[in-house]
Formats: sequence, C-alpha cells, structure tokens
Amino acid sequence: MAASIVHIRNLGIQLSQDFAVVVEKLDLRRGERLVLDAPSGAGKSTALGLISAGMEDSGLPGRVHQIGGQAIERGNRARRFAKPDVLGFVLQTNTLVPYLNTLENIRLPMQIAAQKVDPQWELHLLTVLGLDPLVDRLPTALSVGQRQRVSIARALLARPLVLLLDEPVASLDPGNVARVEGLLSELAQEAQSAVLLASHQAQSGVFALAKRARHRVYEHKGVTYSLFCDTEAAA
Amino acid sequence: MISALAIRLGLRELRHEWQAALCFIAALVGVLAPLLILLALKNGVIGTMVDRLVEDPSNREIVAVGTASFDQAFFDQMAARSDVGFIMPNTRRINAQANALRNPVSRALERSVPLIPSAHGDPLIAGRAISPGEVWLSDGLAKKLDLAAGDQVEMLIRRTVSGNQETVRQRFTVLGVIGAANYAREALFLSLDDLLDVEQFRDDLAITPDTYAAPRTAPDRYASFRLYAADLSALGTLLGALEERGIEARARAENAALLLNFRDNLNLLYGFIAMIAVLGFWCAMAANLRGMVERQRVVFSLLRFVGLSRTSLAAIPVVQSVALVCVGVAVTLLLVLPGLFFINAVFRTRAGDAVAQLGVEDLVATLALGVITAGTAALWAMRATSQIDSVEVLRHA
Repeated sequence: MAASIVHIRNLGIQLSQDFAVVVEKLDLRRGERLVLDAPSGAGKSTALGLISAGMEDSGLPGRVHQIGGQAIERGNRARRFAKPDVLGFVLQTNTLVPYLNTLENIRLPMQIAAQKVDPQWELHLLTVLGLDPLVDRLPTALSVGQRQRVSIARALLARPLVLLLDEPVASLDPGNVARVEGLLSELAQEAQSAVLLASHQAQSGVFALAKRARHRVYEHKGVTYSLFCDTEAAA
Repeated sequence: MISALAIRLGLRELRHEWQAALCFIAALVGVLAPLLILLALKNGVIGTMVDRLVEDPSNREIVAVGTASFDQAFFDQMAARSDVGFIMPNTRRINAQANALRNPVSRALERSVPLIPSAHGDPLIAGRAISPGEVWLSDGLAKKLDLAAGDQVEMLIRRTVSGNQETVRQRFTVLGVIGAANYAREALFLSLDDLLDVEQFRDDLAITPDTYAAPRTAPDRYASFRLYAADLSALGTLLGALEERGIEARARAENAALLLNFRDNLNLLYGFIAMIAVLGFWCAMAANLRGMVERQRVVFSLLRFVGLSRTSLAAIPVVQSVALVCVGVAVTLLLVLPGLFFINAVFRTRAGDAVAQLGVEDLVATLALGVITAGTAALWAMRATSQIDSVEVLRHA
C-alpha cells in the first residue's frame, strides 16, 4: 500500500473554554479524496488550518502531524509551512494580493518558495480555468468567480501532493458551483493531488461520491469536542 | 534576510495605493520645504553676516586703553601665542597723525590724516610686507587724493618751536589701496620706522627738518600696539590674557561677540524648530504606516500563509517608508531649489551675496535624516507586521 501523504493523529486545538476541534485520525494517499462534511460552525476550516500548519495546534497527547512524509513539530511554524509543491490551499475567501495581477498572484507561492514554474502546466491551468485573457488584471477587476478560479490556479500551479479546499464554492452562485467543482476535480486529478474538501454542499456534484470523514461531537467536562476521523461513519 | 520580493511587494503596494502615497509625500514636502527654506535663509542672511564679521579683520582688533609702555619681550611673548593673529608696536595716538597728505601731481590735499604702522602679516593689507618709504592708502583717502598703486604721495609733518612752524615733507610710494571692506575710514599705512620718525620729530627738538630722515636706534619701549586676534572666538581669551598682565584693552568690535552669540542662539532655535517638525512628521509617519498595516492585515496574513518569512513581511513597511521619504525629499528639493533661486534673484543684496543658501552638506544631512526618520518610524509597523499570523486569513471568512 502506498505511503500516506497526509498522516494525522490527535491534531487539535481548543478554540474557547468550551469548544475544541480535533482531527483524530486522517490518512490520505496520492489521488485520494476525502470530504469533511459537517454542519456550519463544526470547525471544518479550523481542521484544514491545523492540517496545513497555518494554525498552531494545542499539542494533544498522541499527536502526529505529517505532510508529504515530513513531520511538522509544534512551536516552529515559521519553518513548517509546506512548500507549494507539497500543499495547496484554496481559501474560502478567495483572498488575493490586491496589488498583484492574476498571473503574479498565481505564481506568488512558488516565487516565495523559489520553485520553478512549469510553463506548460501553467498555460494549461490558465486555459482550463478561463484565466488566460485575465492575466494582467488586478483582483479588483475580477468577479467573485474569477477570483475563485485564480485561487484554484494558485493552489494547483505547483502540482501539490495534497490540495486542501475550504468551501471553495461557497461564494459562487449555484450555476457556477458544478462547473468550478468539476474543474477542481479534473485539475486535481491531472495533478495527481490528494484532495481534502471541507464543505457542507458536497451531497451532489463531482465530490458527492467521495469518501466522507466521520464527524462526531463529544462532550467532556464542559468542553464540546468536534471530532473528525477519516473512518467512514457507520450507516 | 530581506528578500528582493519583499522590496518589490512593498513598492508595488505603494504604486497601487498611489493616492495615499501621494498624500504622504505631500505631507512630507509640507514639513520639509519650509524647514529647508528656513535653513537656507539662516545660512544666507545670518551666515553672510557672520562670514563678513569673521572675514573683516578689523573685528578682530584689540585696542589698548589708557597709557602704558611695552617692551620688545611683551611683543615677542604675545606674537608666540596661538590666539594672536598679528601684533606690532605703535606710537602714541597724538603723534600718529600727519598734518596733511598731498598728491604731488594734482595738488589735491587732505589734512589731519591718521597714520597707522604696518608690517608683514598685517591683516588689513592682506599680510603683504611694507618697507620704509612705502605706504598703503585706505580706499577713502586714495579717492580723495586721486592716488593709485605706483603713485607718489607727499606727507607734511609740522611742529611749532618757539612760535615758529617747522615742516617736514616726505614722499612715499603708494604700494596699494586697502579696500573699504577691510578699512572703511581714512588712513595712511606706513612702516614702523617711518612712523617713529614722525613721533621723534615731534618729541625731540634736536631733530631738525634736515636730520629728519637720519638713521636712529629703535626705542626700548613703545606707547601702544596694534593687536589682532587669530579669530573672533579668540577675542575673549586674548582680552583676559591682557587683563592678567594689567593691560587695559577692549575689542574694537564688541558687537561681534553679540552677533556670534546670536548666530549660536539662532542655530539652537532652528535646531529646536527642526526637531519639533521632524518629531511631528515622525509621529504622523509612524501612525500612517501602522494604519496601513492594519488596513492590509488580511493581505499580510495571506503573504505569511503562502510562505513569506516574518523578516520579509516586516521589511515591507520599511521599504515603503524609505521609498516615500526618498521621493518626498526629491520632490522637496525640486520645489525648494528653484524657490531659493527665485528668492536670491528677487532679494539680491548690494554686495551680490545670496540671501538663501543650501550647501551639499545640508542636502546630504536632509536625506540622511529623512532615511533615519523613515527607518525608525517604520518600527511600530514592523512590529505589528511581524505579529500578523497566517491563521488570520483562514479566519477572515
């Protein structure tokens, strides 16, 4: 069996005195897809933040955090950011750097990591996502959907081992949801990226048949734990 | 390490936020331009006054008051002092006057002309040597007698013996004319030997008009001196040294010390005004940069999220601050320098001195001060930037 690209045990954070989010167990191999399907406020974005190491975890007992075969320790997050060819992240907010144009925004993570862009893959992404006529535009001149597609291109440009998607279609109108999800799925497949999708809208569309993480809520000593586990929920 | 990318990002944001950047530059120009004009006026008006004061040797003169006598040892000791610019013996004032001077060609006559002994190193005649038979004329005297360098001038010295007037006529070669800037009054500058001849003729009846120019031994003591301090600031110590020797003296230009004092006070005042202005600008800049960080908090968080190091992130406000100040200084100079040219053209002084002056050192100091101000004003923003976490862009939703 292929080694896990994402290997996590007991990665959690206490967000307040009475609420904590914990990824109990999560293993993803190349090309696998997993949906974190839970109600709004359950901590899906927090779970992705913890997995991406963009958020500091609380260091629970039995904690394991490995991305791309590399262990990520607590307390030195400055060094822990996975390189763009290991981890791509599509933010829920489509946040872009407002003073960089489309192409510069897309290339930014690879530029920071001093990684070389594959021009053919870049052209393919721009073409498939319909961004090729928009490369010189600033984010203010883009629609919400266009900005979302720029975010997707930014996350996929380095063909990451794992792609984290945080409600990637939440801000889109229903007509575009299926199209963007389809593009995401197709491009992630081409990049051979494992996909971890946080969404409460994945009951239909291309991710409807993807494996779903088990989500359960557990209360202990006045704290509500929102727990995620890659083991399928019992029927 | 600050990456080239951080510099590029900082500059790109400034370009993107050009209106805010323009307001910032305008604020800097508003502070800096009046300061530079004030500095230029201070340099021009006060500087020129002080320069003239310093350049005019007569302001460094110390004159003996009362009666005394001075031997050669006194002159040797004084000449050895580093704060003495020039010293030589002088006669009693009453004897240091010619009854008349005449242009032997035009017959133009000037009565009661003061005689001033001179020698090599005399600051009033630019340190040139003067020998017996040679004289320098003050500008006013030369004009009245219509004399110039190379001409002859006739000096008439009279005394009354038993009711009879005895007159000596002595001819001198005019070596040159002392500019009005160096000596504004009328006087004839001659060698000490020639002046002593005048004094001895008036004091010693044994000397007749026929033996007037006969060689004589120099006196043991002199009634007075001509003394110039090495520079204006040495006047005080030199007067103190004379007082210690029991010699009563005073500086000819007592206002000089006052003007120097005024200049120092003006420098202090300008420094204070500049400090307040720079401090105010520093606060405005620091607050502005800090506000910019707050406005762009999510973008900074995104940059951090996609891997930009904390150091590079913190460098962005510094890059912007330094860039804004450099552009601000450049715009200020583009406005101020033609402005100074205009001021100098409109308010040209009679002597042709510039009313407003800025030296290269002033411009370099302005730029250095600007960069230091920019760098330090960015510290607050730097600190705020370095505290922005990547998690903020995740929570932004």
